[in-house]
Amino acid sequence: MNSKEIILKKLSADGMPEYPHPAPDFAPQRFDDPAATFAERLGAAGGRAVQMAPGETLDDVIRRCYPDARTIASAMPGVTVATLDPDAVEDARELVDVDLGVVAGSFGVAENGAVWIAQDIRHKALYFGATALMVVIPKDAIVDTMHEAVVRPEVDDFGYGCFMSGPSKTADIEQALVFGAHGPMSVTVVIRA
Amino acid sequence: MVWFSLVLKLKQMKVGLFIPCYINAVYPEVGRASYELLRKVGCEVDYPLDQTCCGQPMANAGFEKDAKALAERMNALFETYDYVVGPSASCVVFVREGYPRLLDNYREHACVDARIWEICEFLHDVVKPARLDARFPHKVSLHNSCHGVRKMGLSSPSEMNVPYRSKLRDLLSLVEGVEVMEPERRDECCGFGGMFSVEENAVSVAMGRAKVRRHIDTGAEYITGADSSCLMHMQGIIDREQLPVKTLHIVEILNSKL
Amino acid sequence: MSTHSKAAKRFVADAERMAWHDKALYAVREKRDRMMTTVPEWEELRRLSSAIKRHTLSRLGHYLCEFERNATANGMVVHWAKDAAEMNATVWRLVREHGGTNLIKSKSMLSEECGLTPYLRERGVDAVESDLGERIMQLLHQPPSHIVLPAIAVRREEVGALFEREMGTEPGNSDPTYLTHAARKALRPKFLGADVSMTGVNFAVASTGALAVCTNEGNADLGTSFADLHIAIMGIEKVIPDMEALAVFTRLLARSGTGQPITSYTSLYRKPAPGKRIHVILVDNGRSEWLADEAHRNMLKCLRCGACMNTCPVYRRSGGHTYSYFIPGPLGINLGMLRSPKLYHGNVSACSLCYSCSDVCPAQIDLGEQIYMWRQQLDGMHLADPVKKLSVKGMDFVMGGRRRFYGGIALARAAEKLPRFVLENGLNPWSAPGRAMPPFAPKTFNGWWKKTNK
Repeated sequence: MNSKEIILKKLSADGMPEYPHPAPDFAPQRFDDPAATFAERLGAAGGRAVQMAPGETLDDVIRRCYPDARTIASAMPGVTVATLDPDAVEDARELVDVDLGVVAGSFGVAENGAVWIAQDIRHKALYFGATALMVVIPKDAIVDTMHEAVVRPEVDDFGYGCFMSGPSKTADIEQALVFGAHGPMSVTVVIRA
Repeated sequence: MVWFSLVLKLKQMKVGLFIPCYINAVYPEVGRASYELLRKVGCEVDYPLDQTCCGQPMANAGFEKDAKALAERMNALFETYDYVVGPSASCVVFVREGYPRLLDNYREHACVDARIWEICEFLHDVVKPARLDARFPHKVSLHNSCHGVRKMGLSSPSEMNVPYRSKLRDLLSLVEGVEVMEPERRDECCGFGGMFSVEENAVSVAMGRAKVRRHIDTGAEYITGADSSCLMHMQGIIDREQLPVKTLHIVEILNSKL
Repeated sequence: MSTHSKAAKRFVADAERMAWHDKALYAVREKRDRMMTTVPEWEELRRLSSAIKRHTLSRLGHYLCEFERNATANGMVVHWAKDAAEMNATVWRLVREHGGTNLIKSKSMLSEECGLTPYLRERGVDAVESDLGERIMQLLHQPPSHIVLPAIAVRREEVGALFEREMGTEPGNSDPTYLTHAARKALRPKFLGADVSMTGVNFAVASTGALAVCTNEGNADLGTSFADLHIAIMGIEKVIPDMEALAVFTRLLARSGTGQPITSYTSLYRKPAPGKRIHVILVDNGRSEWLADEAHRNMLKCLRCGACMNTCPVYRRSGGHTYSYFIPGPLGINLGMLRSPKLYHGNVSACSLCYSCSDVCPAQIDLGEQIYMWRQQLDGMHLADPVKKLSVKGMDFVMGGRRRFYGGIALARAAEKLPRFVLENGLNPWSAPGRAMPPFAPKTFNGWWKKTNK
C-alpha cells in the first residue's frame, strides 16, 4: 500500500459517525453604508480608500495620491504615467522596489476593508514587491461580508487571487505595529467614479 | 401577594443544605449565613449531618474515580430533598458534571446532580425574592469565579458575544447601601484551581497577586463572590502581604442585617 | 513537580518580564474581544465553524480525495505523507530534483512539528524563515514561543542586539520600526535569490482545489513570486469543503488570533503560473489516529489562531518555553498528549481549569474539558505524579468517613498551635511563598448545627 492508501484506510476506520454538512442558521450582518464601512476598516488596517472625482482620470488620482512616485509600474488601460509595463518584464525581480504599482481589483469587502485581486498581470511580484500599491476597483463594487465575497463570479475562476487588506504589516517586535514588513508600505484602494 | 404565595410554595419544598468540606472547616460562618438566608426567604432548610466532601479536589487533580465513594455518599445524604443548595459554585458544578459519570445505577433527573443548586442561582432563578431586608454600606468588588461564570452562568463570560448579565449583581441590588464594583479583566482566573494551586504554586500565586491587585484597584473594601475556594486563596495572599482589602462570601452580604 | 511547574517557577521569578508578557498577550485578547463585538452573529459563526469542521472530519478521506482531484486538475501535484519522515524526505527529493539550495519559507507549524528546517539545513539547503518573528527565533536558535506571535517573549532590546550582530544595525537602536525595516532590507536578497519557496496552508478548499494562505507580512506571497517551485505542506485536517466554509473561517481566524477583521493577505493559490510548479504535501503524522480517539478528536478542528494561548492565564504568566511540547498553552497541552503522553504529560498541570480557552475558541473546541480528561487518563497510563496520587489517596481517606474528617480537622486545629514556621515551609506545598495558610475555625459548621438544632 502506498501512503495515500494507508492514510485513507486509517481514516475510514476512525469510528466517527458521519455528520451532515451544516447550513448557516443566521443572517450575516449588513451595513447601512458599505462603502463607508469599507473605507473605515481599510483605514484601520493601515490603507486608505479614495473615491475618484467625476472627470478625474487614473493619472490624476496617481498624481494626487503619490506625487513623489518616480518609478510606476502598471499595465492598466488609462494609466499613461507608468514608467514600466510589468507585463513586458521577463524577470519578476525587476518589479521589486518600484515606487508604485497600479493594478486592478474586483471588489471590496466592507467588514474587513479587503479587496479581491484576481491576478491579471504576468508577475504577481508587483502586488508584493512594490513599495506602494494602488488597487483600482469598479464603482459600487463593495459587498458586506466574506459570505457574499466568496460566491462572487470573480472568485470562481482565477489562477492566483488575494484578499488584500491594507499594506504589509507586522507586530512581531513587542507587539508594536509596523507597516511594510516585506510587502508594500502603503496601499490605496481607488473606487472608480 | 405574589411574595406570600411563593413563600407558601417554598415552605412545602425541602432544601437540603450542602456545606462543602473547606467551608465546614474554615468558613463555618458562610454555612450559617447560607442557612439563615434560605430561612429568611422562606425555605424549609435541613442540614444532613456529617457531610464531608463532594470529591472535586480529587477529580481536578486527575483522580475523579477516587471520588466515587464520596459521590455515592452525597447522593445518599441528599436523597430526600427537592433542592440541594450549597454556597460553592465549583463544587456544585462538579456534582452536576462529574456525578453522572461516577454514580452506580445513575438515573438521569433522579440523582443529586439534577437537584443541586449554587445558592445564588437558587435565589435568583427559583426563589426570586423581591426583597432581602439586608444592608451592607460598603464598596465591594465582585469576584466572578471561573466555574460560576463559564460552567454555571452566574454572569456572562467576557469571551462571548452575549449581553452582559450577572446574577450576583442582581442579588446585590436587593441589599441597601452596597456599592458594587468589578475589577479589570472581570472574569480572569485568580489561580486557585484546586491541586493547581499546589502543583503550580509559582504561577498560582502570581495569578492571585494580580487578581487581588485588580480588586483593590476598584477601591473596594471587600472582595466578594460565590466561591469560598477562590476567596481563601486570595485571602492567603492578602494576609501574607497585609493588603488593604478583605474577602467575604456573598451570602454574608445578602444575609446582613438592616 | 511537573516539568512545566519547574520551568514556570523560573519564568515567574523575573517578575518584570512576566508582567510584560502577561500584559502584551492580554492586550491581544482585548483586541480580539473588540473585534468580536463588531460581529453580531459571532456565537452563531463559532457554532457553524465547529459544525463544519465536525462534518469535514467525519468525511475527511472523501474531502482529501476531492481536493486532490481538483488540485491535480488545476495543475498542482499532490503528495501524501504518512509521517514526518516521509514529509521531510518528499520535500528533500523535490528540492534536490529541482536543483535548489536556497529555500524561502513562510511560517508553518507543521514544519516545526516535523523538524523540517533543521532537516533541510543539515542537507545543505539554506532554509530561511521569512516571517519576521520566525526569523528572529531562527537567528536566536530558539523555537517559537507562540504559534502566531513567535517572538512574543523576546524584548525589543534583545532583537536590537541580535540584529546588530546579524545585520549590522545601529548599536543600541531597538526601535521596532527601524528593526523591522532593517530585516526587510536584509531579507530582500533571500527572497530574490530563492530557488524554492515553501508555505504552510491555512485552508485547502476541496471543491476548487485551492490553497488558502494567510499572512500579515506578505512574506508567503513575496516568497512564491520568484522561485519556480512552490512546495506547500499541510496537515490533513486543513481541508475544508467549499468556499462558503472559507468565508466562515476567514471571518473568525484573524479576529480571534490577532484582533484584526482579516489578515492583510488571504491568498488563494489555485493554478500554478505558466512555467511554475506547485507541489502540495498532505501530511498525516498521527492525525488519523487522533481522529479515532473519540475523547480528543475535537482537537483536529483547530484553526491555529492562538486565541487560547492569549487568553490562558497560565500561559501568559509562564511563557511558551516552559511547555515541553513545541506548541504551548491549552492547545499544546492537548496536542502534546495526543503526540506522546509519556513525553509530554509534564504540561497537563499547566491549567487552572478556568475554561476561558474553550470560550474563546473559534471552533468551539473544548480545550479545558479535554485537559481535565487527560488528567483522568494519566493514572491509567502509569504517568500520574506519585506524590499527588498519595495526597489524593490521603484526602480520599480523610473525606471518606465522618470521624476521619472531623477528627482530622481537630488535629489540624491543634497543629495550628505549633509555630507558624512548622506549617509554612517548603514541605507544605499550599504554603507557597506569598500565600498564607488559612486558619481553621474554632468550630465546624457541622458542630454548630449539632449544637443549635438538637
